[in-house]
Amino acid sequence: MSASRLLAITRRLLQQFRRDRRTLALLFVVPVVILGLFYFLLRGGGPHPAVGVVDLDQGPLGSAVAHQLEASTVVGASQMDESTAVERLKDGRLAGYVVLPADFSTAASSSGVVRPQIYLEGSQPSQSGPVVQATNQALAGAASAILVAAGGRSAHVDPSLTYLYGGASLDTLDYLGGAFVGLVVFFLVFVITCVAFLRERSQGTLERLMASPLRRGEIVLGYTLGFILVALAQAAEVLLFALLVLRIHNAGNVLLIFGIETLLALSAVNLGIFLSMFARSEFQAVQFIPLVVVPQVLLSGIIFPVVSEPGWLQGVSNVLPLTYAANGLRDVMLKGADLTWHSVQLDVAVVFAFAAAAMVAAAATLRRHVA
Amino acid sequence: MGDEHSVAHAVEVEGVVKSFGHLRALDGVRLRVRRGEVFGLLGPNGSGKTTLIRCLVGLVEPDAGRVTVLGRRLPDLGVLSRVGYMTQAPALYPDLSVSENLRFFAAISGGRHDLDEALEFVELADRRDSVVATLSGGMRTRASLACAIVHRPELLLLDEPTVGVDPQLRAQLWNRFREMTATGTTIVVSSHVMDEAARCDRLGLIRFGRLLAEGTVTDLLARASTDSLEDAFLKLAEGAPQ
Repeated sequence: MSASRLLAITRRLLQQFRRDRRTLALLFVVPVVILGLFYFLLRGGGPHPAVGVVDLDQGPLGSAVAHQLEASTVVGASQMDESTAVERLKDGRLAGYVVLPADFSTAASSSGVVRPQIYLEGSQPSQSGPVVQATNQALAGAASAILVAAGGRSAHVDPSLTYLYGGASLDTLDYLGGAFVGLVVFFLVFVITCVAFLRERSQGTLERLMASPLRRGEIVLGYTLGFILVALAQAAEVLLFALLVLRIHNAGNVLLIFGIETLLALSAVNLGIFLSMFARSEFQAVQFIPLVVVPQVLLSGIIFPVVSEPGWLQGVSNVLPLTYAANGLRDVMLKGADLTWHSVQLDVAVVFAFAAAAMVAAAATLRRHVA
Repeated sequence: MGDEHSVAHAVEVEGVVKSFGHLRALDGVRLRVRRGEVFGLLGPNGSGKTTLIRCLVGLVEPDAGRVTVLGRRLPDLGVLSRVGYMTQAPALYPDLSVSENLRFFAAISGGRHDLDEALEFVELADRRDSVVATLSGGMRTRASLACAIVHRPELLLLDEPTVGVDPQLRAQLWNRFREMTATGTTIVVSSHVMDEAARCDRLGLIRFGRLLAEGTVTDLLARASTDSLEDAFLKLAEGAPQ
């Protein structure tokens, strides 16, 4: 083995890295950004899940538990009447509410059973867990009051859980599946379009297209149509596999899910064309994956709920198309939402607007001139 | 848009200037190509030949000057359906067959087209269903030419079409170019190969983005008082300002 030959290869590699600033950024900036995002998502001090406390108890035990809940460090609890709590649970402002029934104290003293009623929104397991945890902690914190209420006997704590959506029968895949269906379509269509369009440039055929009577809009629309046909077949396959083979829970209209997937694919195709303008090689195009896809996976609410992010990060999440697509897909599949829901209308409109904006941007940046 | 010149000339370039950063690729080029002739752009690598040809198909927008092609002043998308363009390296879809490539380029160029005629012309009829990636370099060059002529252009622009091509195929290609001009097609071909330049009706010698001289081979040899085109080029280049 020749040391000089070996070092020549090493030196050449380092020289290439020095000239390739984009790769350097990928190596040194992207990991910090991604880890930083994880920090803000997991430890960022975002708002706790909002919980309503409905204290109907005629006796003293209810207010003791309610105070404990309000002092909780894992949820943001506040007292309200039951109709407000129901309304807020339905519109997503509450992750859950706890009803301390009128006979809360008397049941404890007569039968030794403490039975708070926990109502959960249910579409986000990471939001439901803290509600149950906080209730259990509040009951533990109010142990002495419970002891008094139960006449000195040890009381049996038996909370009842009611889910607005989903429920104990659903597993993690049911909760994440809807959003994953969208993510898979978006990710693959984006990468394939980006690389395909770049190849058009590197093999010289884009120059031939530009030397023909084709208009830029025709090129972008032609590409969009071609890829959408493939993306639709892929979306159908992904959806059927998810629903029929994996048996992911779906309470909504399959055609609506397919429609949202199609809009997402439309966004991905045009984002792929647009971003391919900023890459000179397939290597550089692949570098868009951690830059474009990973932040969307982390910030679009697929894994970590957007409402649990710090406020400034929610601002970022709210401009990502995948946030709206994931929200729409989850609403349809978990909640059985349809197009009469304002939230679904907003999700569909935003994804559509993003797709249209990406198409305009792609056509505008597609230069007819090679120099 | 048509005028007297346009009728007689397939290409008119007036005072075209194009710079890339500090590099002046074209420096006040003035050029006229007559209809039905083979006009050769002769010059060394980096002299501005490709930039000039790209100007003729609207791929490069001049900083100054005027380009008129087939009587239409550029930019004009419509006229491109009457122009054929063959890039230096064959620009084909490698995963499509020869006929699929041809059909695509015919469709985007518009106008009448005859796939079989184009395939016969480049002698690739027997490989029409072959995937381009499986073809030899020479076959790809011929397939690229077929894609450039499939819509029967009135003006064919060829950017160093014979680079890397063996002598036999080169002779075949030049025979094909001659056949095309016999049916009225105008051809502008760039080259840095002197013996190839001798096959052109007229030549433009280009260096440092300037057109040094323009005329028939005989004219240029006479002007440089030499019997070699290579010497003529060197002599005319020496006399030109740098």
